[in-house]
Amino acid sequence: MTLRIARKEFTEMLRDGRFRGAGAIVFILLAGALLLGWRNHGEVSAQHATAQQATRAQWLSQGKKNPHSAAHYGVYAFKPQVPLSLVDHGTDPYTGVAVWLEAHKQNEFKYRPAQDATAVQRFGELTGATVLQLLVPLLIVLLTFNAFSGERELGTLRQLMSLGVSPSQLASGKALGVAAALGLWLVPAAVIGAVAIAAASSQGEVMASVPRMGWMALSYVLYFGAFTGVSLAVSAWAPSSRSALMILLGFWMMNGLIAPRVASDLAKTWKPSPSAFDFGQQMQLALTKGSDGHDPGARAKVLEAELFKKYKVDKLEALPVNLLGIRLQDSENHGNEVFDQSYAALWDTFTQQNRIHQLVAMAAPGLAMRSVSMGFAGTDFAQHTHFAKAAEEYRRMIQRTMNDELTYNAPTTGAPYMANNDLWKKVKPFDYTAPDAGWVAQEQAPSLGIVGVWFAGSALLAAWSARRVRVL
Amino acid sequence: MLIATGLSKSYAGKVALHPLDLQIQAGEIFCLLGANGAGKTTTINLFLNFIQPSAGRATIGGLDVAQEPLASKKLLAYIPEQVMLYKNLTGLENLDYFTSLAGGKHTASELMSFLTEAGLASADASKRVGDYSKGMRQKVGIAIAIAKQARALLLDEPTSGLDPKASNEFSALLKKLSDSGAAILMATHDLFRAKETGTRVGIMKHGHLVATYATSELGHADLERIYLEHMHD
Repeated sequence: MTLRIARKEFTEMLRDGRFRGAGAIVFILLAGALLLGWRNHGEVSAQHATAQQATRAQWLSQGKKNPHSAAHYGVYAFKPQVPLSLVDHGTDPYTGVAVWLEAHKQNEFKYRPAQDATAVQRFGELTGATVLQLLVPLLIVLLTFNAFSGERELGTLRQLMSLGVSPSQLASGKALGVAAALGLWLVPAAVIGAVAIAAASSQGEVMASVPRMGWMALSYVLYFGAFTGVSLAVSAWAPSSRSALMILLGFWMMNGLIAPRVASDLAKTWKPSPSAFDFGQQMQLALTKGSDGHDPGARAKVLEAELFKKYKVDKLEALPVNLLGIRLQDSENHGNEVFDQSYAALWDTFTQQNRIHQLVAMAAPGLAMRSVSMGFAGTDFAQHTHFAKAAEEYRRMIQRTMNDELTYNAPTTGAPYMANNDLWKKVKPFDYTAPDAGWVAQEQAPSLGIVGVWFAGSALLAAWSARRVRVL
Repeated sequence: MLIATGLSKSYAGKVALHPLDLQIQAGEIFCLLGANGAGKTTTINLFLNFIQPSAGRATIGGLDVAQEPLASKKLLAYIPEQVMLYKNLTGLENLDYFTSLAGGKHTASELMSFLTEAGLASADASKRVGDYSKGMRQKVGIAIAIAKQARALLLDEPTSGLDPKASNEFSALLKKLSDSGAAILMATHDLFRAKETGTRVGIMKHGHLVATYATSELGHADLERIYLEHMHD
């Protein structure tokens, strides 16, 4: 019965020129966005790969150099672009994808396209995610707002209800019909997307992408289902098609346009994050209060005294280790504490802001979907920090290697020590693997839950409204 | 087959139907006459459970329509003044859809024969309903009733706006359905048809069923005279 209803709804929609037109527009935009994303991803990945090789080559070919100079010279780390990021850029344009790893400093990320973008661009970037999160729900609203109210106004609802059709079957049939009609456009678009993702991936990446794609597809299906359910419920319950359309367009705007603004404003007000400038200043202040490896001041004297005591000597020449190396690592250790605290506090603020977003998302599933989508696209904040931490670990490893070289291999006094290419080779290339889909699902559990609850809730709501539908 | 017991309906204090007691047996065609707003459509909508009664109950084949909304509807077919169909589907597709929702399983040729039986030209059956005249849509409505093998028919002015020939064909079909054992309740303004096809007529006024007659007792002229007498305040 449900299938029969679905088949008829599907046939009717296919014969409706308006649906064909609207569906084609969404398909073209989605396919276009995915292909653009693919091209962009290809270019950016190639640039990253080149830059990553270049930074490694530069590091290896430094020649004769003091290890601490090399530490200052530093390397760049590039966040690998998960192939799915071509669907959803997420926070990448705001957080940046590259970081310079140098001595004394945990740097902020660079190359943030959002910095160079105008306010208008922020609104209008065409990505697969924009189409899926904004336009497809709009199409669903347009397809379903009159599912019940239109039949009532036309008089076919009387005819249907006089047959003894169960209203909840009618609702589920209509939902399935819309799903099939949407699938007609979205499945080919998804295939194009999958092919683009596969083409953008290296051998290993494809396998890593598959579970992410599965999760992402499932979440979008739930999200579209939630919209369909709400739409059907409103259509059954609203006094007329006109008012159903008004209510649903209102919901769509609230969900996709207003709620994100409200959420970020609330987050900023309740859990204010420092400006980049303030954050930098605070950190600088904390750093100056501790050990400075370049400063032969009080801390240097303390370290010297400690070493003299430890090795039971009384002059620098007699020390088995190089004091400068010790001092530099000491200042590095102090800096690391400061960075750990500062970044932990900053990221904690962002996490709390995220909680506020999730709170608003209970009323607007689009926010939860946005979070889930960028999660599986590998472009959410959690994966940004995951990478940032790995990059920082790598930076600290370089610093330790350089400072240890100074401490244990440099002569205790005399002319500056020069290391050669052998030392640079000791530093292994930066190898970062993005977390797997299961990790993301865990991180995104609250948002995934919200999308799931909306799906189930809207299905119940639709069935409930359908049972109470006015026939006349 | 169709039984109303003390069935009444009021809207916000205004009475649309005063307690009505009515029994229509299988094979009977009961024609409800009366001015617009007399309560004819209200009675039919109550049997369809489209509206809830204020008091009393309506049963079809012994099933209370409010208690058993789905089961009671399996027994009936409904033809309103305007049979509304899905305009992007053909007549045949509409019939297929409605009959399969009613639980029927028919082959395409069976469906086609129902449409032919209802008087729809087979060339028209595969045209989209958007181009149908009212008469053609009513015929699809009848085909739905035929296919459903309904034991009770609820008809709300089904012939208003039909040309005399179409109206005549419609009456012939009703007779055929009634001969095969259906109980028929039809609201109509057509006194001539009521007398021709009906077995009984009932006259409604301001929500009251004021009189019922067996049509065999009446001539055409009698029915019109009696009707006008009742309408006269």
